[in-house]
Amino acid sequence: MGLTKSYEEIQEKIDRREAVVLTAEEVSRMSRELSPAEIVRKVDVVTTATFGPMCSSGAFINFGHYDPPIRMEEVSLNDVPVYAGLAAVDAYIGATSESKYNETYGGAHVIEELISGKAVHLSARAKGTDCYPTKEVDTTITKDDVNEFYLFNPRNAYQNYAVAVNTLGHTIYTYMGTLLPRLGNATYSTSGELSPLLNDPSFRTIGIGTRIFFGGTQGFVSWHGTQFNTSKEKNEAGVPVSNAGTIAVIGDAKMMQSRYIKAAYMERYGVTIFVGIGIPIPVLDEDLARSVSVRNDQIEATVQDYGIPEKPSLGRVNYSMLRSGSIELQGKQVRTAPISSLLRAREIAETLKQWITAGEFQLTRPVEQFPAHSTTKPLKRR
Amino acid sequence: MNKRYVFTFPPDIVNRPIVSEIAKHFDVMVNILNADVTSGREGKLVVELEGIEENIRKSLEYAVSAGIGCVPLLKQLQFDQEACVACGVCTSVCFSGALTMDSESWELIYDPEQCVVCGRCVKACPLRLFSITMEG
Repeated sequence: MGLTKSYEEIQEKIDRREAVVLTAEEVSRMSRELSPAEIVRKVDVVTTATFGPMCSSGAFINFGHYDPPIRMEEVSLNDVPVYAGLAAVDAYIGATSESKYNETYGGAHVIEELISGKAVHLSARAKGTDCYPTKEVDTTITKDDVNEFYLFNPRNAYQNYAVAVNTLGHTIYTYMGTLLPRLGNATYSTSGELSPLLNDPSFRTIGIGTRIFFGGTQGFVSWHGTQFNTSKEKNEAGVPVSNAGTIAVIGDAKMMQSRYIKAAYMERYGVTIFVGIGIPIPVLDEDLARSVSVRNDQIEATVQDYGIPEKPSLGRVNYSMLRSGSIELQGKQVRTAPISSLLRAREIAETLKQWITAGEFQLTRPVEQFPAHSTTKPLKRR
Repeated sequence: MNKRYVFTFPPDIVNRPIVSEIAKHFDVMVNILNADVTSGREGKLVVELEGIEENIRKSLEYAVSAGIGCVPLLKQLQFDQEACVACGVCTSVCFSGALTMDSESWELIYDPEQCVVCGRCVKACPLRLFSITMEG
């Protein structure tokens, strides 16, 4: 084992403004010339980022008590149903919840509008109790009116994901975009060598309590994400070749910027939300230096046929191929396109780098590691 | 030369083969990029005319004399570039090559010259930033 550095040593360098912070793309380029041992000596922190559609997202909100009070039961914001089955004025706005009157508008739009300072219409109904006599409220709220408004996303930043194609004779509409018939196109979603969980594939530095860039402000990893799976096949570079790890994240939506939280509607699929996440990875030793050096040509993803319910594999491709604009499948050149923004992910990685370099962002050691062994169970038919 | 026009057909002449007449009489290639024609209603064709300038001019004169509105297609696709996050979803359905990702900067590049006004991007864009204006 060569040189090792502790979180404290790296944080002290940050405090002295002497830390060397690079983005994951920069360190991947550097790794073509330098060995992991040299990278540990040279680099202290590597910033990673992603900006893509992440359906499993939403916000908690506490509206504040009305006078006379109401124990809200049926609640909607701009006609989008929100979950209010907890206490009197707490609610959860699910990003994919759709408006009762417009399928292209949903919870994601409500969240984005609140973040950008707009007023939304609150409608609440209740049966009325002795302690909460009011039965109906119709009013408008802004983020400044409410007590708390924070994003709590149960599953974000997937560690790798499928490349989606369609072998059927007709177009299909999916969360991976419009998939044209007979392998007409292929879409992919991670930010490749910049993607957070691909740079620390065994979750050594990313765990409960890790401070992150979240939606334009500082947030935290709150738990492992739902469907967290450590048992997916890994390739020679140590990268899982399909969707594996995930994170649950939490952050103050009042401090977020709508530039990094964007509502979206996928044609004939539904509402979803683009989420911007950036995670710093301290280069503690050679093993981490090696994992943050991972390059697009080492990151492989499984091509899956979304035209068939089981989504069978059609093979594996790497991110260099995906980024080239076409891949070969069944003897045919198939056009590729991303569904997440590398442009904005780079902006996030750069922003996080500046925050750390300027001493505005403290590194954290996980309070608790994620489960070392975890698989995903299907819902059984009974 | 190639020129693009929006042809507007009044309901009473949608049954005349104007496009074929143009192609036959004036030696102009007509590529129909988009069509919205229903009997009994006003019809619209987005066409690209290919031929020598003189013949294109004569074709247009002929179409106008037949009662067809001919407007050069200038504003085809409207695109709110300011709000674009460059996710790339539109490029997965754009086969004309009008919408592509820059392979270095990963910005979205829109080349109106390549657009055939198929409208796929209008539906595919998750932020709904595209719209098609058929007027010139």
